Amino acid sequence: MASKLAGKVIQNINSTFSGGGVAEILNRMVPLLNQLGVDARWNIIKGNDEFFQVTKKFHNALQGRPQTITGSDFDTFMETTRRNFEVCELYGDVIFIHDPQPAGLIARKKEIGKKWLWRCHIDVSNPERKVWGFLRPMVSQYDSAVFSAPAFSPELPIRQFLISPSIDPLSDKNRELPQETIDAVLAKYGIPRDKPIITQVSRFDYLKDPVGVIEAFEVVQKSIACRLVYAGGTATDDPESDKVLAEVRERVGKNPNIHILLVPPGSDIDINALQRASTIVVQKSISEGFGLTVSEALWKAKPVVASAVGGITLQVKNKFTGLLTHGIPGTAYALKQLLSNPDYARWLGENGREHVRRNFLITRHLKDYLLLFLTLFNPGDVIYL
Amino acid sequence: MEQVIEWLVANWLKIAVPLLAFLATYIVGLWLRRVVHNVLERWVATRKWEGGQVIVWAVHRPFIYWFLLLGILVAVQVSVLSPLVKGLSALAIGTLFVLSLGWVILQLAEQLVRLYFPRIKASQSITAFVINVIRFAIILVTLLVALDMWGVPTTPLLAVIVLGILIALVSFRNAATNVSAGVQLGAAQQIRVGDYIKLESGEEGYVTELTWSNTQIRALDQSIIIVPNIRLLQQTIINYGKPLKKAKDSFQFHSRTHFTELTGLKAKNLRELVDILRKVPDAVIYFHTHHFLEEQYYLTPQLSNDFAVWVTEALGDEVLAERLASIDTFGFPNLGALRERIIATIEEYLSGNPPQREAMPDRDFHFMKSVSFILPTAYAVHDLREFIEALRKISLGSLFFHVFDARLRLGRGMNDFSIWLQDSLGDTELAEEIARLDPYTFTLEGLRLALIQLIEKRME
Repeated sequence: MASKLAGKVIQNINSTFSGGGVAEILNRMVPLLNQLGVDARWNIIKGNDEFFQVTKKFHNALQGRPQTITGSDFDTFMETTRRNFEVCELYGDVIFIHDPQPAGLIARKKEIGKKWLWRCHIDVSNPERKVWGFLRPMVSQYDSAVFSAPAFSPELPIRQFLISPSIDPLSDKNRELPQETIDAVLAKYGIPRDKPIITQVSRFDYLKDPVGVIEAFEVVQKSIACRLVYAGGTATDDPESDKVLAEVRERVGKNPNIHILLVPPGSDIDINALQRASTIVVQKSISEGFGLTVSEALWKAKPVVASAVGGITLQVKNKFTGLLTHGIPGTAYALKQLLSNPDYARWLGENGREHVRRNFLITRHLKDYLLLFLTLFNPGDVIYL
Repeated sequence: MEQVIEWLVANWLKIAVPLLAFLATYIVGLWLRRVVHNVLERWVATRKWEGGQVIVWAVHRPFIYWFLLLGILVAVQVSVLSPLVKGLSALAIGTLFVLSLGWVILQLAEQLVRLYFPRIKASQSITAFVINVIRFAIILVTLLVALDMWGVPTTPLLAVIVLGILIALVSFRNAATNVSAGVQLGAAQQIRVGDYIKLESGEEGYVTELTWSNTQIRALDQSIIIVPNIRLLQQTIINYGKPLKKAKDSFQFHSRTHFTELTGLKAKNLRELVDILRKVPDAVIYFHTHHFLEEQYYLTPQLSNDFAVWVTEALGDEVLAERLASIDTFGFPNLGALRERIIATIEEYLSGNPPQREAMPDRDFHFMKSVSFILPTAYAVHDLREFIEALRKISLGSLFFHVFDARLRLGRGMNDFSIWLQDSLGDTELAEEIARLDPYTFTLEGLRLALIQLIEKRME
């Protein structure tokens, strides 16, 4: 497939080379595309603090968080976009724009032609209307748009494709670990291996429902001896996270079977070890974008109990690759079912790993990128290469 | 002149005796040749051995030359020539005899090889190689014997030659073992050109050539696999025998990969679902009734179509979900008919069960379709044996394309395999058997196995 893109330059454009999910994806994907023989390159737009404050507000608004957006914010966005017309050279045969920050570059399409793609990495299923109303006319000028989950797809006059996020099975967060490493991490956090371990890995955020997880665990604990590990970090850009952590600690009290772990950034091996040491992994989110922690757990063949929200439903096929629940009682019931039926739990875990192997590894992600580029040069639903 | 006559008169006895001795030996030789020839003829006739005729005629002609040489030797020995001349002539005649004997043995061995090697189906190259080895060995031995007769020291020469042979054998030991293996394979006749063979190590295909050092196999992807003969002897080989009936046109296996396209359309309840179902393209219907077959191929039992799953999980309506799940996709000749059946099932249910629930939050039905990318594989097959072996190897995507996509998405009305079996191979019975097989009741691996079993049964 890559050979069919010979001679085409794929120019990726976003707002930063480091930090954030988009940069992380491009850092992995661009070298992999190059290794396949695809001439993929990566540039960034330039902007001042004011511009990035505006795009941060856009980012939050598009994800449904109320923001105060003024007319001058749109002016700032457009002014920076115009400045980038001059400094950002557009040389690709395919100009692949990531997220809203560089989306305005599409204004040069009439002048330079080429194929234009807009990749939306964020959840725009319930966007704030004012911001989406500002962006939609720009997005509509692209040849195609790409979203991470079906729920994020709005009605647009252009083609839209689904490219789910993926995990890298060779990264520290997902690679196989020796038992000694797992034991060492458990010892480091003071978690005995005397009982089955139920784990949720999420930042301290109300949307991840940490208190709900604890309540469900308390129900389970009444009839089955087990431990709960809630491992996560606090986001520097989220002042609420410290408050959530404090509430969670207060709710736990002195329950010796609940381990609340504040894991520092970059502790990928610790997270990996905690997931691998778990008997069951929970993801009891109230709202979720895609929920890559679910993919990480499934890849480790762990039985998963997760809320039927957002992208989780793509990963957990209820009763086949995990159990989907809708509340605290349902979560507690599913946990008890799995703890009492280890063969069933193992079967779910194995199915889950296979599901991730086929659908949510970086290799599938890479293939989707190739297919995306090919759709630009090959119209129709059935394409003979 | 007178002096010559006087000399002859004085020495006629010195001439006559050797001459008579020569003539007598020659005549005895002629007689002996006839006797020996007759004895050998009778012996060969009783044995009915074809190789005997070669021996009889190989010896027949030189026999008289040997008696000519013997006659000359006797004549010289009874003559009045000096002992030195007699000794030298005896050596010369002996040398000529050894050389002629070597020549006869060489001719005999060569004719026997030419007679018998074709019987063991040895290739021309193997025959030529063996003849050259025999020629070299006989000429070498003959020369060594002749030199030894003249007193030339042959031991160092022999040592050098043996050493050279040993070095050559060590240097070409792999070639030597392969040649030896080739001879064994040829003699055993277990593998012939045209046979379809499968090696324990996985290689398989039709044997296109057997040489003295290797065997060439044409694989399913038309590549030529060269297997050293020694490897063939060292492992288990399944020989399926001669080719089967060839198709008019080969079957080119394709593989397929798909890319999901979003429509931006979503439904919150059954009414919206039906309304959108009426207007979306066929590709959307195909996606939601097929994509899970490939994406969750490893699950048994398999998931139901997306509509049934959504009705169960988002609306919590098990009754309608069961009706939607039980729609027999295989029973519909095209996607239009399948769409009408899905809509009719929901409409019928709606008419008897108003009002309907809304989907749970975040559980809207999102309409999607897929873009299929079709790529040729390396497998192009010409008969049932090649077909079955390719079936074992192709990806599940390829199987999916030829069975599911071909029938409904591409609107061919039948799977690609049945079309080829019927149109190119003329096997209508097998084509119909495969067309009758309901692929929706199998996992993809199960379907592959079922197809293989059907074809194997047919080949019996």
